[in-house]
Amino acid sequence: MGRSDRAKQYFAIFAFAAVYLLIGWFVRNSYYQLMMTLVLIWATVGISWNMLSGYSGMISFGHAAFFGLGGYTMTIAFVTFGITPWIGIPLGIIVGMIAGIIIGLPTFRLRGHYFALSMLAYPLAMLYVFEWMGYQEVSLPMKREAPILYAQFNDQRTYMVLALVLLVICMIISMHVERSRFGRSLLAIKQNEAAASAAGINPLRWKMLAMMLSAAIGAAAGGLYAIVLLVVTPQTMFGALVSAQALIMALFGGVGVFWGPVIGAAVLVPLAETLHAELGSIIPGIQGVVYGIAIIVIILLAPEGIYWRIREWVARPAAPIERPGLGAPAATSVASVVSTVEPRASAAPAENPLLHLQAVRRTFGGLRAVDDVTLDIKAGTIHGIIGPNGAGKTTLFNVINGFLAADTGSITFASTNLTGLKPHDVCRHGIGRTFQVVRAFPRMTVLENVVIGAFVGSTNNAEAERLAMTALDRVGLADEQAYAIAGGLTTKQLRLMELARALAPRPRLLLLDETLAGLGHDALEDVLRIIRQINRDGVTIAIIEHTMHAMVKLVDRFSVLDHGKLIADGAPADVVKDRTVIEAYLGRKWMERAQDSVA
Amino acid sequence: MEELKWFAVDFFQAVTAGLLVGGTYGLMCVGLGIIFGVMRVVNFAQGDFMMLGMYVTYYLVTGFGMLAFLGPYAGPVIGAALAGPVVFVIGWLLHRYLLARVTGARVISAEAEGHYTQIIMTLGVALVLANGGLILFGSTPLSVQTPMSRESWEVGLIFFNQARTVAFVLAILFAVGLYIFLTKSDLGKMLRAAADNPIAAAYVGIDVDRSHRFAFGLGVGITAVAGGLLASTQSFQPYIGFDFVIVMYAGVVLGGMGSILGAFWGGLTIGLVQQVSTLFLPYQLQNTAIFVIFLLIIFFRPQGMFGRVWERA
Amino acid sequence: MLKIRSLDVAYGGLNALSDVSLDVEEGQFVAVVGPNGAGKTTLFKTISGVVTPIAGEITYKGQDLLKVPPNERAQLGIAHVPEGRQVFASMTVMENLEMGSCTRKSRSRRAELLKTIVELFPILAERRDQLAGTLSGGEQQMLAIGRGLASAPDLLMLDEPSMGLAPTIVDAIFDRIEFIHRHHGVTILLVEQRVAEALELCDRGYVLETGRMVLEGSHDTLISNTRVKHAYLGM
Repeated sequence: MGRSDRAKQYFAIFAFAAVYLLIGWFVRNSYYQLMMTLVLIWATVGISWNMLSGYSGMISFGHAAFFGLGGYTMTIAFVTFGITPWIGIPLGIIVGMIAGIIIGLPTFRLRGHYFALSMLAYPLAMLYVFEWMGYQEVSLPMKREAPILYAQFNDQRTYMVLALVLLVICMIISMHVERSRFGRSLLAIKQNEAAASAAGINPLRWKMLAMMLSAAIGAAAGGLYAIVLLVVTPQTMFGALVSAQALIMALFGGVGVFWGPVIGAAVLVPLAETLHAELGSIIPGIQGVVYGIAIIVIILLAPEGIYWRIREWVARPAAPIERPGLGAPAATSVASVVSTVEPRASAAPAENPLLHLQAVRRTFGGLRAVDDVTLDIKAGTIHGIIGPNGAGKTTLFNVINGFLAADTGSITFASTNLTGLKPHDVCRHGIGRTFQVVRAFPRMTVLENVVIGAFVGSTNNAEAERLAMTALDRVGLADEQAYAIAGGLTTKQLRLMELARALAPRPRLLLLDETLAGLGHDALEDVLRIIRQINRDGVTIAIIEHTMHAMVKLVDRFSVLDHGKLIADGAPADVVKDRTVIEAYLGRKWMERAQDSVA
Repeated sequence: MEELKWFAVDFFQAVTAGLLVGGTYGLMCVGLGIIFGVMRVVNFAQGDFMMLGMYVTYYLVTGFGMLAFLGPYAGPVIGAALAGPVVFVIGWLLHRYLLARVTGARVISAEAEGHYTQIIMTLGVALVLANGGLILFGSTPLSVQTPMSRESWEVGLIFFNQARTVAFVLAILFAVGLYIFLTKSDLGKMLRAAADNPIAAAYVGIDVDRSHRFAFGLGVGITAVAGGLLASTQSFQPYIGFDFVIVMYAGVVLGGMGSILGAFWGGLTIGLVQQVSTLFLPYQLQNTAIFVIFLLIIFFRPQGMFGRVWERA
Repeated sequence: MLKIRSLDVAYGGLNALSDVSLDVEEGQFVAVVGPNGAGKTTLFKTISGVVTPIAGEITYKGQDLLKVPPNERAQLGIAHVPEGRQVFASMTVMENLEMGSCTRKSRSRRAELLKTIVELFPILAERRDQLAGTLSGGEQQMLAIGRGLASAPDLLMLDEPSMGLAPTIVDAIFDRIEFIHRHHGVTILLVEQRVAEALELCDRGYVLETGRMVLEGSHDTLISNTRVKHAYLGM
């Protein structure tokens, strides 16, 4: 389970720490010692940013909020109540986490640029409030009688050690998050939140967790920063530059990986600080310019950060880069993994339909996208949903899945009422879904892509992997193909991978949305064969398709939609001859002409 | 009873001040409205372009005295107006060589990040502009002095600061001018079409890239003019841009995305809120009231006052 | 007027079009039909320049169209009425039509062109100041066609005008399309899923199936052709 991989990462982290300490030991100039400490603190802030924004894609421009709250909690505790920073910083962490929850709950409901703008507003508001409260500039008093008790040290290098300890802890936390199902889920959410929730991942839960962790780390960094600098002002703790720096460290160094902020801080902080020291008096604001240019350059040349660019570069002669993930399981022989593939519950008796839609209606504005549709999908069948373009087929799936709420009507799945459930809950009940546009993680292996679907049906990573391998075997992507990098797959392989992802938690019903679109003749036959086998193994399938030839050979039953209404439902042979269906596809005049020629 | 009367006077004074400053805010928001409301580009640097407008006006009028021949009344006004084209050109160049590389279809979306690269790029631009401004212009607060800055007209018990009143009138004129341009001229309509539906615009023969560039330049230019007008009513320093970013976004969002008219009303309302809130809140918190409104709108009525019912994809 | 030879287009990772060839003579009404996913819209997008082909050539009035940037193609006299209408939703009906006549050729004749369009589609006059986004589907389709005509095109390309519209409205729209062809002599290239309407009106037709041309012929040979039925219904 990638144990050796993990050990390697630990080794790398501690090696880095050791080297850093060594360098720090030899630095005598207190200014450079301070700089080394600041690098570590800003790296920690970057990790805090990464935890939320790097992993989940919710870009935050307001991390100064947590940084500042951590710093000020510690400061106020110290200055007003005489509480030592050793307690003050943990207190700050708690305050930060609470702030994270309070901020996260409403703000996560916002999309895209509204989220970014809101996050911008919070620290700015805090800045004004703290200024108003009179905290223009607060100096931490020197406690000469018991300096260590109050975390005050003569030797600047002690602060460096503290910062290093904090950073190492945060790096380890990050590393574990990245490799855990938490991290994978965040990545899935970042990539395609809809597909992730259809695969059983609860977006809000994971985002809140990420926010809390991110806030905690940010607050810790803020508290430490305050101790090191001994002076806090609203501008230095809540200012826009702080939020910008949080972002830049991670962005420049590498988004979504814990080494990123370390690289970013190691490059940018010394650069900015040195320039500031040398030229600061002639060119004030040089720091901001440096950071600004750094952002512009990195966005143009390496939008995900240096770390990824270097890895690509280094690995170019060989195969494309494989991101560290769950890693290749040691010696899992595929044969031992393949077993009898049963769906999670036994198939329902043939009389009761597995999925029953009753008078389902969904309108958009004035348009009836799904108009009073009542249909049954019987267990064990392959049920085709067809209709001309714009007929409402995908909308129907979206309603079944939980992405859209039905305006009226009900959806029952094996005696459970699905109406009103969120997508991840629908998935939990045993319905899997594929999407028209397959968005794979191009740098991850096929297996890693599929495992995300397996989380909902498993309690630990090992089990998830087993489920994933089983699913891959069922679609014919086992053996070496499971470890291939998803970026190089053919269309057919991508579709099969998507199918495997939906299959991994062993659903009872699979909703396939245009899985066959655009496949050449041979690929089509292969995929049809696989779908048939999956069905024979007990999975009920509902499939939306346009390619009629294929469907006619595949399905047991057709439901035809046109303008949102169900216009035909029955065996393929009958449906295809049905007048209303032919009319829907070919036009009324066709039928009229056909009548005329017959008459 | 006396107290109530004085409170009423204070209130109306605040409303007046709010309207006057709101006119300029409105113009500022119109500029952002073109970029954010219509093209859906989040531009963090909008406030810094306003700052540039202020400094251009200052240097034209006071610094290099180029407009001294126009006299102390017309000078600042013309200076503000000229700041527009200057900043237009800067914005145009910035878009062509930097922003266009990360907007639109040309972004190769690696793991769904393409969407944000544009916002982040403007953050970088904002930092460079603000701090570059600090380097070029120094940190001493400046303002464009006109004899009207300290004079007020009195109407009843209410004082109308002359500089602010003039700025208000001019802001309205510019806004009306822009409105006419966008609704009556072919070029203006083409800009709107290119922003509304770039694909359909290409089909009818509009050069969408050039339109976006022009619209961006126009948006920052307008905001710069507003800055120039504001320059004679208050002092400014290179970091002032950031103070106004939220003000502008609040105005545009309040007014409704996609509506230029709405952006103006939004800005006006924000100005009102800001000034009236000083009656109840300490002056340091005047912007906090704006934030609260901003957050409330985003959460409960994201389409604002005049927003379109349908959202572009 | 329009010659397409051996066009190969990959779109969204799929082989959208393979070895497609097509001819449109001046004054003709050419229809391209085929089931969904056949590649019809991709064909139009390639002609308009939104999509670039991997291989093949497109010649328009003797000129290599592939060398012309997309927004210039409209200037040459090609009007594309897109799938799904794609009106400028935040602009009024009149403004939409004005935008249609942005080309150098048509700008000077705008008033006269708009008058003709309004005669064709009287409802547009009624709704002239209404925002295009608030129109019904059928009205938007008429507006889109009107916008296409506003450039006084030599070639009018219509992409699935029937999509999402109720049958009676579809009839009305096709009626107008036929009128435009017959009365104003505009060359028309029509892509449609609804076969009967398209084949009824055309001089020449092509059947596209999973990216390939499987059938072509005159109006008479195609209508009621069972091969066409097979392409749609698989039987």
